[in-house]
Amino acid sequence: MEKSVNANMPGLTARVVVNEGDKVTKGQEVAVINCMKTEIQVLSEDDGVVKKVLVKEWDELQVGTPMVVLEV
Amino acid sequence: MIKKLLIANRGEIVSRILRTCRRMGIATVAVYSEPDGKAPYLREADEAVLIGPANPVQSYLNMEALIGAAQKTGADALHPGYGFLSERGLFAEAVVQAGLIWVGPSPQVLRTISSKSYCRQLAHAVAVPVIPGTLDLLQDAREIVQYGEQHGYPLFVKLDRGGGGKGIEVVQSAAEAEEVFKRASSIGRMAFGHDGCYLESVVARPRHIEVQFLADGFGNCVCLSERECSIQRRHQKIIEEGPSVVVTPEERRELFERTRRLVLRMGYHGAGTIENLRAADGQFYFMEINARLQVEHPVTEFLTGHDIVQHQLEIASGERLPFQQDHVTLRGHALEARVYAEDPETFFPSPGTISRISFPAEDGGLRIDHALADGFVVPPFYDPLLAKVIAWDQTRPQAVARLAQALRDFRIEGVKTTIPSNLKILEHPRFLEGDFTTAFIHEMLGEKTTAGI
Repeated sequence: MEKSVNANMPGLTARVVVNEGDKVTKGQEVAVINCMKTEIQVLSEDDGVVKKVLVKEWDELQVGTPMVVLEV
Repeated sequence: MIKKLLIANRGEIVSRILRTCRRMGIATVAVYSEPDGKAPYLREADEAVLIGPANPVQSYLNMEALIGAAQKTGADALHPGYGFLSERGLFAEAVVQAGLIWVGPSPQVLRTISSKSYCRQLAHAVAVPVIPGTLDLLQDAREIVQYGEQHGYPLFVKLDRGGGGKGIEVVQSAAEAEEVFKRASSIGRMAFGHDGCYLESVVARPRHIEVQFLADGFGNCVCLSERECSIQRRHQKIIEEGPSVVVTPEERRELFERTRRLVLRMGYHGAGTIENLRAADGQFYFMEINARLQVEHPVTEFLTGHDIVQHQLEIASGERLPFQQDHVTLRGHALEARVYAEDPETFFPSPGTISRISFPAEDGGLRIDHALADGFVVPPFYDPLLAKVIAWDQTRPQAVARLAQALRDFRIEGVKTTIPSNLKILEHPRFLEGDFTTAFIHEMLGEKTTAGI
């Protein structure tokens, strides 16, 4: 089943720290959001494998914007 | 004199600069990114130009778009404000090459002083004490070990071109020297394009005390006042005040004298700030120069009655400073509280829409610099600074009381703000006694929680 990891704060994408094909575990950092110049971690809520990275550095984010798709 | 000024920035500082321009009869151009399209100060400017999308690289850091906006509107000068491109020599040079007046020190000076080790050497050459450490850039990790054997640990490895609290690494022992040296060099190459670094000893229990100066192109440099900015979190200042409770008149004269020597040797013209650390033993050390208008400049404006932005514009227009050091007198006491869009407990950012705002009326002892209005969306893309509340009175206790009252009367609904944490600081016995260091916030929060710090 596919499940996306979504932005938990609005802002700009600082970086995505996983690559397609990577195994991730629940609670692992997947990406970092720059919200008002503060870096905020985005954590995976599931165990899975990264299927697709949807955002790149500087991309705008709203709360809920999908950042990474996992196969869980 | 400048006829039409483009302000290459956003937020409260745009309103601030516009106010002086109106008084001086200078036409104004504001710029904005897409999410800032409803910023209230855009209506106060004579013209407003859209420069790009939210991403600052494409808007407020976009040199071409900014210079293009100036040319399109026929502006003859550009004020960079603070942050963004304000201290970027490359930008200053592009502005000058486009035939515009750059409101700030020359591109050449900006380039040379962007090297911290150059500034340390310059300070040393004019007998201004620098934070103990190395003057030359490190060649290898062995130099760290040698220095550590003589002077002890911990030591800071600082990047020559670092800034904004980035590019500072700690070495706890000789065993870590190699690893930290490699890490610092690598961060320097990747983040700043330069891998040079130098060593600094740790200054125990420091206070941050800076000196505001003005220098013209005719060899005159006048110091206006010091400001104490020790109340800070993660290198972000929260409350600033002047005069500092620990600076004696003799020390002030000495700090002013040091500042003049250093500024004149740099060939700097415009407004600027020399940041110093005061160690627990009362010694002052030069730390760095801020080659721009600073957020906390209103503190000095209250103390001296001078409009620093006006002086910036006059100096940039090639005028002489109209007064000398003897004419500067400090009156009373002033404090500034920065209101950030952050959770007051965790300092977690709090973007959102301001549903309602109201604040006390300004008077001779109260000033509020902001760029807010009912319904304004605070974008999540930029600095969290919402407003600055600045209070003045005859004595420090009176000024503190006036600031606290103004903060209690300040209402912002829709976003969380740091007003409650400002009040907590202003009511803290150690703050009231003037007994604090740059670790104050950390220690104050440590009484309860250090979450998010």
